[in-house]
Amino acid sequence: MTTTPRTRRARRLVALLATGALAGLTACGSGGTAPTVSSDAGPEGVDDGTTLTLWTRAPLEAQAQLLVDAYNESHENQVELTITPNDDYVTRVGAAAGSGDLPDLFAADIVYVPNWTEAGLFADITDKIAELPEAGSINQGHLDAGTYEDQQYVLPFVLDLSVMFWNKDLYRQAGLDPEQGPTTLAEYEEQALAVQALDQEGVYGTAFGGNCGGCGVFTWFPMVWASGEQVMDEAGTESLLDGDAATEVYDTFRTLQEAGAVTPASRDETGATWVADFQEGRVGVMPYPATLLQGTSETVDVGVTPIPGVDGGASTFVGGDGIGISKDSEAPDAAWNFLSWLMSDEAQVEVLAANDVTPARTDLADNEFAQEDPRVQVINEVAGAADSRTPFAPNFQQAFNAPGSPWVTLFRNQVYGDAGTLEQDNEAITEALSQ
Amino acid sequence: MSAPAPARPAPPPSSRRPDAVPSRGRGGPSPWSRTPTYVLTGGLVIIFLFPLIWAGVASVSPQAGTAQSEGWGLGNYETLVGYQAGVGRYLLNSTVVSGLVVVLTLGVSLLGGYAFARFSFPGKDLLFLLVLAILMVPYATLLIPLYVLLAQLGLQNSLVGLALVLTMFQLPFATFMMRISFEAIPAELEESALVDGCSTFGALRRVLVPAVKPGLVTVGLFAFLAAWNDFITPLVLITDSNLMPLPLAVANMRQQVMGIVDYGATQAGVTVLALPCVLLFLALQRHYVRGFMSGALKG
Amino acid sequence: MTPPSTPLPPGATTAAPAGAGDDPVTASLARRSPLAPRAGRRGGPVRPGRGRGSSSSRRRQGWLYAAPTALFVLVLFLVPLGLVLRMSVSDWSLFAGSRGINVPDNFTAAVGDRLFGPAVQFTVTYTVVTTVILIALALGLALLVQEATRWNSVVRTAVLVPSALGLASASLLFYALYSPQSGPLGPLLQRVGLADGPVSFLGTPTAALWSTVALVVWRFAGFYMLLLLVGLQGISGDVYEAASIDGAGRFRSFWHITLPLLTPSLALCTILCVTGSLLAFDQFYILTKGGPDNTTVTVVQLVYSTAFAGANDLGRAAALSILVLGALVVVNALQFKALRRKDV
Repeated sequence: MTTTPRTRRARRLVALLATGALAGLTACGSGGTAPTVSSDAGPEGVDDGTTLTLWTRAPLEAQAQLLVDAYNESHENQVELTITPNDDYVTRVGAAAGSGDLPDLFAADIVYVPNWTEAGLFADITDKIAELPEAGSINQGHLDAGTYEDQQYVLPFVLDLSVMFWNKDLYRQAGLDPEQGPTTLAEYEEQALAVQALDQEGVYGTAFGGNCGGCGVFTWFPMVWASGEQVMDEAGTESLLDGDAATEVYDTFRTLQEAGAVTPASRDETGATWVADFQEGRVGVMPYPATLLQGTSETVDVGVTPIPGVDGGASTFVGGDGIGISKDSEAPDAAWNFLSWLMSDEAQVEVLAANDVTPARTDLADNEFAQEDPRVQVINEVAGAADSRTPFAPNFQQAFNAPGSPWVTLFRNQVYGDAGTLEQDNEAITEALSQ
Repeated sequence: MSAPAPARPAPPPSSRRPDAVPSRGRGGPSPWSRTPTYVLTGGLVIIFLFPLIWAGVASVSPQAGTAQSEGWGLGNYETLVGYQAGVGRYLLNSTVVSGLVVVLTLGVSLLGGYAFARFSFPGKDLLFLLVLAILMVPYATLLIPLYVLLAQLGLQNSLVGLALVLTMFQLPFATFMMRISFEAIPAELEESALVDGCSTFGALRRVLVPAVKPGLVTVGLFAFLAAWNDFITPLVLITDSNLMPLPLAVANMRQQVMGIVDYGATQAGVTVLALPCVLLFLALQRHYVRGFMSGALKG
Repeated sequence: MTPPSTPLPPGATTAAPAGAGDDPVTASLARRSPLAPRAGRRGGPVRPGRGRGSSSSRRRQGWLYAAPTALFVLVLFLVPLGLVLRMSVSDWSLFAGSRGINVPDNFTAAVGDRLFGPAVQFTVTYTVVTTVILIALALGLALLVQEATRWNSVVRTAVLVPSALGLASASLLFYALYSPQSGPLGPLLQRVGLADGPVSFLGTPTAALWSTVALVVWRFAGFYMLLLLVGLQGISGDVYEAASIDGAGRFRSFWHITLPLLTPSLALCTILCVTGSLLAFDQFYILTKGGPDNTTVTVVQLVYSTAFAGANDLGRAAALSILVLGALVVVNALQFKALRRKDV
């Protein structure tokens, strides 16, 4: 091939274009300073007809939609909601964060929050939270998760708690007391086996997400906490999941599995359908997301009790989503207006509690709606119980929630495989936590 | 979908017998010897059609835990229609994106195929190799840089930007297909047009485009199917829920509530996604197949 | 679509009136012969000096026609690829952007990942299984339905229809099909007596692999069958005539005539299938999420999860992508070599 001056020029041009574009591309890192909410905006921020964008993940769509509709109806500001599938939320937030495209407000699974605050995705709202009249009663677990180097970035958006549900009809048939759920781990095992003993086609004692790290975290950690033990050290860098209480929990599920009292679908359940069998009335008793009380009550006569430990106690995983103002927001004062409204009695009681969602403020646990349904009271009370926790770890996702995480490997070995690998599996979790 | 790679042109095919079946006399076999074949192929037809038919049937049949829990009906489709911005909006987005991708892919690959088949210019082979190299990069990796790049071009979060990216992913197959389509036409055809005083563009427009039509249909159909069905690309590139294409909306709907997959809505969504593709495919099947034949694909 | 009414130049295909049950492959072939005017060169650049314009003007025009392609490749492929290269040598986190150079840590960390070995092993296994089954099935189908009969055209259409679905849609469809709650297959197997108790299609490593392979075979068999049909049609009938006069049986003529002459088409299918399978992502992302117990994690899934699930380390993900790209280039180069040697 001969080179004419023309093609040489063309080549130079191409090279120039490529390097120029690359240089341009890298100019937009996550530079820039995070927005601050101005202090003269007052504790309620600004309501001046700004259009705000809000992102959340699909599992909380119903609650988010309720909140956004109520806010839009009563305010000049208008919030536009974008829903993303649960499994793809991190992808989307990551892509947007990299190019400075985050929305004004975005919610995040509370276990991601430490990682994201550390990465600087949220704006600092420490001073604004302090100005709130209800500051003292906001759920501490969520506030702690959103605290980084003594600055606060996140407020609770929707609380999602884990509790024990049981099917009263099946309990009656099995000769159990339909008004009395399990109060210890041993009782849970007995009651599940009793339902299994009915020997009905398609009916099982219990169910769980056997291939779902998040489900295991959500439902098994409280059993350890209620027994007075911990799952990690304070800093969230060392796993303690080889403790006595944890071992008891694994043994319980292994026993149930070997007795055939677990739904066959549990073994490869990745979390997409882990409560479906209970909803269809085919499961006796299982730890369950409290947010689904309303929906599940339509098909099943549900009893509710806190998740017990080895010898009693009560605990819950204070999960759900936190929400903050993003580093890219151009209207932080208006965004704060939404957050301050979110903490108000109106949002917490009239919107959330009215729809059976646990309020994120301890002083509202005994609200008018809870008084109508004792089951809701049980849920609200356990949210503030001494042994209830929101676990904190910067690498929580990799260690526990990610598909195929070391935690999934650990509990699958404990329930289905070689239980002798506990030490090294626990070591693998520690390794993931301390990276 | 991926595209074939070029190699040395094969010798031209000589005359072909449409029923070139070896070793069977022309006398025709007895019907008895055919029975096993019919049973086998019949079984294959059932196996290949079963999943599609099942999805359609399941989407209107009663299932516990879906919008259609009792009796037959369109409950799941109502879920679909009522979801967020409504199914119409998502269908429109998908249609716009797919239409753009088809037009862009056809335009770029027609000109590109012509250039690769009929011209020699410096850098030709390198450029062609680069086009094929698009196939070899895990596309999930390219999405983040593409996201950043589209933001630079002011095309982030727009259907146009999405269409440009999807077109790029279509280029290997489309360019290859158009190249062999042009190569299958005798060179004399173009030369005589040039002698008659056409410019190269005139020759392309008047003489060559009609000749490569089957190839164009194949390329257009592939581009449509790919753009209509793509899920990951819009997931990363589109951040405004009013601009979501249908597959993304269906995936969103699949997991409405923690721990429950709405299978009914999923099946209805798959049916709505698949129906236009299947109908279009059946309508264009004859042309599409001929597009493959006209190039007499050289390995 | 109506056929164009303008008279077409010789050698161009003309559309036939669509008859019910008219079979596309043979219909198009029947009308394509005789290809007598093909005495001249097919394809290839037009010789300069014929027609108008000097060779340099033709070069310029060639560039002009290729310009849109070049623009797409440059802006939407080479520039992002350059950025991927940059990421692969940088400490680049998803949320915080670039934090300086990081060579060779990205590559050592990528290879040292606890899932790297299993992922490579599984991807190779999956590729071999898929390629062997798909190509064998496609070849069998092509041989079965190559005769032009009405029934065969029905069979062809049935096998081709799944390829109209996107891989993501097909995966969603099979996700529901395999589900223990709504899927029809488990009860079906139980009724036939092939299974006692509920069947778990994605619950064991082996079942998950075969379930995914079934989906991919269902989706792609028609496409590869079509490619092979085209190859079969390219084999002249005279060769078979000669062979049968020489007294070759069906098997011998398949072995000594069909297979060698079909080699280019088979090689093309193999290259496509191998490249596609080595980059498998969608089907596992939707069906198995890499489970159970990380037995179905493919390399591209590892790239994806390194970037977006947990580690959020774009640098490491990019390094892994570069390794995959390199492996693919090598694999394809080897396949080309093998193909060129055999290409008669």
